[in-house]
Amino acid sequence: MELEQLLHKHFGYSSFRPGQKEVIEALLQEQDVIALLPTGMGKSLCYQLPAYTLEKPVLIVSPLLSLMQDQVEELKRFGEKRVVALNSFLSLTEKRYVLHFLEQYRFIFTSPEMLLQQQVQEKLAQMKLGLIVVDEAHCISQWGFDFRPDYLRIGDWLSRENRPPILALSATATKKVVRDIRETLSLKAPFEFMYNVDRPNIHLGRVVVEDKADKARWLMHHVTETAGPGILYVSSRKRAQQYSEALLQEGVRVAAYHAGYGVEDRQFIQQQFIAGELDWIVATNAFGMGINKLDIRQVIHESMPANIANYMQEIGRAGRDGHSALAILLYAEGDEELAKFVVTGDLPTLHHVDRYQELLSQQIQPIQMLKNGELSETAFRVLDYWLQRESSEQVKVRLNHLALEKYNAVNEMLQIIQTKDCIREHLVGYFGQKLQKKPENCCENCGIHYDVIKKVRLKEKKKVEMATWESRLQQLLMGN
Amino acid sequence: MFHQILLQIFQKLNKERTISAAYHVLRGKRSGQTIQDIGLFQLHQYFGLLPKLSRTTFDEAVNLFMQNSWLNVQESGHFYMETLGLQRAQQTPTFFFDGWHYRGNEHVFFARLSLIVQSLSHQAAAVRTFSPISRDTMIQAWVRTFLQAHHYKEGHLQQQLLTECNHVLTILPVSDASKQLVLYRLSGYQLPGWTWQQLADERKETVLDSQLAFIETLHILLNEVHQKIDDYPLLGHVAEGLKVKILLTDSAKQTAQLYEQGYSMEQIVQMRKLKQSTIEDHFVELAMYEPNFSIGPFVSYDEAQKVWQASKQYQTKKLKILHEALNDMSYFQLRLVLAKGEV
Ligand SMILES: [Zn+2]
Repeated sequence: MELEQLLHKHFGYSSFRPGQKEVIEALLQEQDVIALLPTGMGKSLCYQLPAYTLEKPVLIVSPLLSLMQDQVEELKRFGEKRVVALNSFLSLTEKRYVLHFLEQYRFIFTSPEMLLQQQVQEKLAQMKLGLIVVDEAHCISQWGFDFRPDYLRIGDWLSRENRPPILALSATATKKVVRDIRETLSLKAPFEFMYNVDRPNIHLGRVVVEDKADKARWLMHHVTETAGPGILYVSSRKRAQQYSEALLQEGVRVAAYHAGYGVEDRQFIQQQFIAGELDWIVATNAFGMGINKLDIRQVIHESMPANIANYMQEIGRAGRDGHSALAILLYAEGDEELAKFVVTGDLPTLHHVDRYQELLSQQIQPIQMLKNGELSETAFRVLDYWLQRESSEQVKVRLNHLALEKYNAVNEMLQIIQTKDCIREHLVGYFGQKLQKKPENCCENCGIHYDVIKKVRLKEKKKVEMATWESRLQQLLMGN
Repeated sequence: MFHQILLQIFQKLNKERTISAAYHVLRGKRSGQTIQDIGLFQLHQYFGLLPKLSRTTFDEAVNLFMQNSWLNVQESGHFYMETLGLQRAQQTPTFFFDGWHYRGNEHVFFARLSLIVQSLSHQAAAVRTFSPISRDTMIQAWVRTFLQAHHYKEGHLQQQLLTECNHVLTILPVSDASKQLVLYRLSGYQLPGWTWQQLADERKETVLDSQLAFIETLHILLNEVHQKIDDYPLLGHVAEGLKVKILLTDSAKQTAQLYEQGYSMEQIVQMRKLKQSTIEDHFVELAMYEPNFSIGPFVSYDEAQKVWQASKQYQTKKLKILHEALNDMSYFQLRLVLAKGEV
């Protein structure tokens, strides 16, 4: 069957999105692939479709349990029953059952931690897999924020003989990260696909303000006067809370969104946003993982993103319907200092290295540091991984290097902000691509006619009122 | 609401315990000391209401109480309530929590109900796929079984559940605002729920207070459903296995069974070949945890009154002091009265 026919039969789509077909064809020719595709651009289809021609299970290694769950749900929605998540949520009995029947599944999702377990490895060694997918492959990179040591360890497992082709997927990756992925996973002359990073319908604005107070004034004015739907990115939970409260006071339909909320609350906010009950979301970078809203018209950055890749990913959530959208980055002198503080805040420090060794010498498990809340989980993971392999001195050098890398990334972002040339050209060039054509109202430096793009906010949009419990119950169950 | 609850707990623990004891009660700590305190000071309803309560939130409230001169906390953590605090505690309304019997299971009940409602709502709209509000695979599996058991494919389950919910909510002795609160934590097809923050803003209170009002409403609802289980075939099923059976040690359970069969304490001592003091411990346990257990056969009402008077007079629940004051009563009797709590 033609790939297009398969696509229609199993997923109901009539055509591929950019890159999908090339990636799939390479995989079917048993070639390794690194595919860099943004979230919401059909990344997962690249392994979902081959599964239907391979007739052998596809193993998907995914580092984030929530993401894994999303993908399992998605496949089930398409009517796929032979899908399983082999993760730490399974009870012992469930796990035994799943392992026993493992070859009968079409899609096997698992975590790097799970993959390191002996019984899992033994079972997989007996099976013939059609394809191995490493999702969120940038987590492999030791320089990344999401560094997962377990991912490094699976590199060994993947380098065995007679393995099926590997598909490494990532939404964001710099050249350095791509190199790390290729080396760690021992990929053989992989086919590399990278999406066209330019999004011509997103106009790139930049507003330079005096200070924090000036920034707040600008934001309050802008959000109360222009139309959403929009996302306002801020640097902390506290600030998300403050802005959403201030905007609520002004009658804007807005909610804060960050990782401090429970799972249900986060779903409710996403649903309200999609349903048009909210015009704005004030978010930390936790927002957007699973959101699928096409008509976002504005993305505003109140503070500097940690790096260019994050910035591109965040503004990329605007204008997915292809219509004009606006990305505005606010900048006040010295913002880069805050950004540097934030990006290194999560790193282990030299002091943590000494503390780790001190605990070891007292025969106390170093994990106690984490339990005491002395450092974040990510930081401990990084520290623990390296201190098991290298001396304190070596690790200290590494940590310094890591901090420098992060500073550099902030500086690269700063250059984008400070450039007097075309911002779009800079951004696209950063990913090693060449800008084909400048759109109208390209960027702040080329000139934007804001009046043409911005829409005036419709103030008559009223807050959704609560219904009585009787009618809410009726609506929920009977739909009227 | 949180402050009012804390005042009530502090009032009951006044001068007897440290402030941390109240924290452990709200978090539902399963230590011997906390469990004993529950019985001794009649704190059943508050047990485990907030398993995730942070010490910071708790301490903030305590500090506020101190600033308001409601509470005086010593270096050791022991405290007493000032006159103003006692007055405030008197003014608080009666709550109808039942933490002792549900211990956080009300959230399991609600997670099941949420997913059932979400599924039925989508089914009514003929939308087959949606992202489940509960990611918990146990809840998902449970709900799948529930829906099949009640033949949801026939399409009548919506109406049946609506009738039951309408019935129970109509007779439930809580405010309309509380019922609304519960309904807005549910979601359905094109009907997103409201976040705690949004609900708290609407109700003009803190998020914690909204969450407590929600828990209280669920406790009242669950008790109604359990009491008239035949009236609620669907909700009764959703609530299945969530009410904690009274927690007695195995040995105390055996004693309780024999006692229920009509054997006297002396007979039980002989039958079980245990020490008198051990069996006495079992009876104290029963007095503490089994609301239907009467201490009448062992202590007269007058005697119980005397114990409470003495306890008030000397401001204590310490056995030794009470025994000195009421030397015609045995330690066993004193323990029974204290365990049962003031009626
Ligand atoms: Zn430009």
